Amino acid sequence: MDTAVFRLDGVTKRYGDLVALNNATLEVGANEYLSFLGPSGSGKTTLLRVIAGFEAPEAGRVHFEGRDITNVPAHERGIGFVFQNFALFPHLTVIQNVGFGLTHGKSGLSSAEIERRAVEMIDLVGLSGMEGRGVDQISGGQRQRVALARTLAMRPKLVLLDEPLGALDANLRGRMRNELRAIRERLGVTFLHVTGSETEALAMGDRVVVLDRGTIIQTGTPGEIYDRPASPDVAHFLNRFNLFDGSLSRGSFTGAFGTAAVPQATRANRDVYAVRYDRMKVLPASASTDGPKLRATFIASEYLGSSVMNFFDAGHGHLIEMEHHLSLGAPDTYEPRQDYLLTWNPEQAIVFGREAG
Amino acid sequence: MESRIIKPALGVYVALFVLFLYGPFVVLTIISFQQGPDGGPQFPIIEWSTYWYRQIFGLTPPSRVAPLPFGEALIRSLVLALMTMVVSTVLGVMSAQAFRRNFKGSAVVFYLIVLGMMVPGVLTGLGTSLLANNIIGIERHWYTTAFATHVAYTFPFAFLVMLAILNRFDSSVEEAAWSLGVDPWTTFRKVTFPLIFPGVLSAMLFAFTLSLDEFPRTLFASGRDQTLPLAIYGTFSVEIHPNIFAFGVLTTLFSFALLSVYGILMAMSVRRAKKMAMQEDIA
Repeated sequence: MDTAVFRLDGVTKRYGDLVALNNATLEVGANEYLSFLGPSGSGKTTLLRVIAGFEAPEAGRVHFEGRDITNVPAHERGIGFVFQNFALFPHLTVIQNVGFGLTHGKSGLSSAEIERRAVEMIDLVGLSGMEGRGVDQISGGQRQRVALARTLAMRPKLVLLDEPLGALDANLRGRMRNELRAIRERLGVTFLHVTGSETEALAMGDRVVVLDRGTIIQTGTPGEIYDRPASPDVAHFLNRFNLFDGSLSRGSFTGAFGTAAVPQATRANRDVYAVRYDRMKVLPASASTDGPKLRATFIASEYLGSSVMNFFDAGHGHLIEMEHHLSLGAPDTYEPRQDYLLTWNPEQAIVFGREAG
Repeated sequence: MESRIIKPALGVYVALFVLFLYGPFVVLTIISFQQGPDGGPQFPIIEWSTYWYRQIFGLTPPSRVAPLPFGEALIRSLVLALMTMVVSTVLGVMSAQAFRRNFKGSAVVFYLIVLGMMVPGVLTGLGTSLLANNIIGIERHWYTTAFATHVAYTFPFAFLVMLAILNRFDSSVEEAAWSLGVDPWTTFRKVTFPLIFPGVLSAMLFAFTLSLDEFPRTLFASGRDQTLPLAIYGTFSVEIHPNIFAFGVLTTLFSFALLSVYGILMAMSVRRAKKMAMQEDIA
């Protein structure tokens, strides 16, 4: 990408013996929305903190707008940061919070100009009329918007969002997502969005970066990540796949479900067989099939609105999930504690193995 | 069952505690209204009067009881306490701020600071006076040597108060300010300081009151001009009149006034702190 606004070159950050970030390299284009997905402790927040300048990396360089900013202090970087806990200034009103950077930084604007811009930002996030409120007199969702307006008022080219929606309830989260998209359309800002939610990462990002134990393990569009997870770990974080251990040998995989043909496999450091939740099929226990067969006991189902999740126990506590999209017809009902036969089309499975080419 | 015994027992304990705490002051107050100038510092009260209060302010005709020689000592003590308060609080805030990040030798520095409140005061005073007289060769004064001992003594209190406050401080608000292009010094003035202000007030109160009635260190380190506690002690060795009690009542009232100001300022900033706590709750 030659229009990269932002670049990380082999950034490494350690806390004592713990490697929080291991040789992270990344390029981000102008006006791109990047989501960072990973379990807690995967280094995604550390990554943002290094970019913002709150932490200094032990190795590697950070470039922003064609400048090496690795040793530039946070307040001279011009990179916005939205905190998970919002970190509003509790002793100031909404408008003072939003105008804080313009007032006390090097904006050089007159106070009338600052007020005009703060009001404009408050309007942008839909909080008009709340300018004079204390930040303790507004709701959680409104605080979130103040935090966003406060950052956007500085007109940064790059905004880092550290699980900004984590503290909100599901309803608000959905609305804030839409607002983030709308703001991005209007202002042309590059967003780096850290989240622990795979749904959020896939929904928001132009590209998704998957992190595990301080290492970037896959970067791609949401479609690529979803359809072709690069490793068993990515498949695991996406929370959309049933994973089976076993062994891959000469074009077939042997696991708890018997042996299945493997048309193609992805190289990995261990042998794992992954089947998407919505590719699973349920047959009566007595049925016979040519495909993979897995005996499992039905536990319970969950109604999710557009689909139904069915949970099965394949023995030894191995939980198997099967998703039925309601657009495909009414769901079958299963008897709790009854055995069923689970199967799938082997062509749709994603297989990882040491033997793969 | 338990509370039927423990609660009344605790009640009695607290009552006794309050009695011992305020008993002397009540007696002192009563005797300060003794008749003057002939009434002595003992019961019974011959006749209620405000003679000794008037005497302090020089409103009585001269008598055989000399007015208390406290005027200058009082001013010295107040100035010294103010100086100590400012310096100790500034040092306390700065050093506690430094302790937010782990640095090499932080444990040693910590104990060095706290040592100032641990070392017996008489030794500090004596040591300072010997150091000034024999080694450095400077004159002792309340505003030099004594001031130094006061700072060494009160700084640890201010430091510990600020350490406790900053320990609970959520530094993400500071990072937020930096990310908005505000430099660290302005961030400290506009964000950190307003939020830690209740702690700063407490540190100031500690430093001021500890310095105001400091005795053992000042005894040796203050040189010729006495501070108030020394001057009061000096009058004991001559003869005690109720005017000293009247003076005690007045200084106590002054302390209460100071505490009230502190309480009001505190209540104002605690309201702010509550806002902050609420913000953290939802996070």
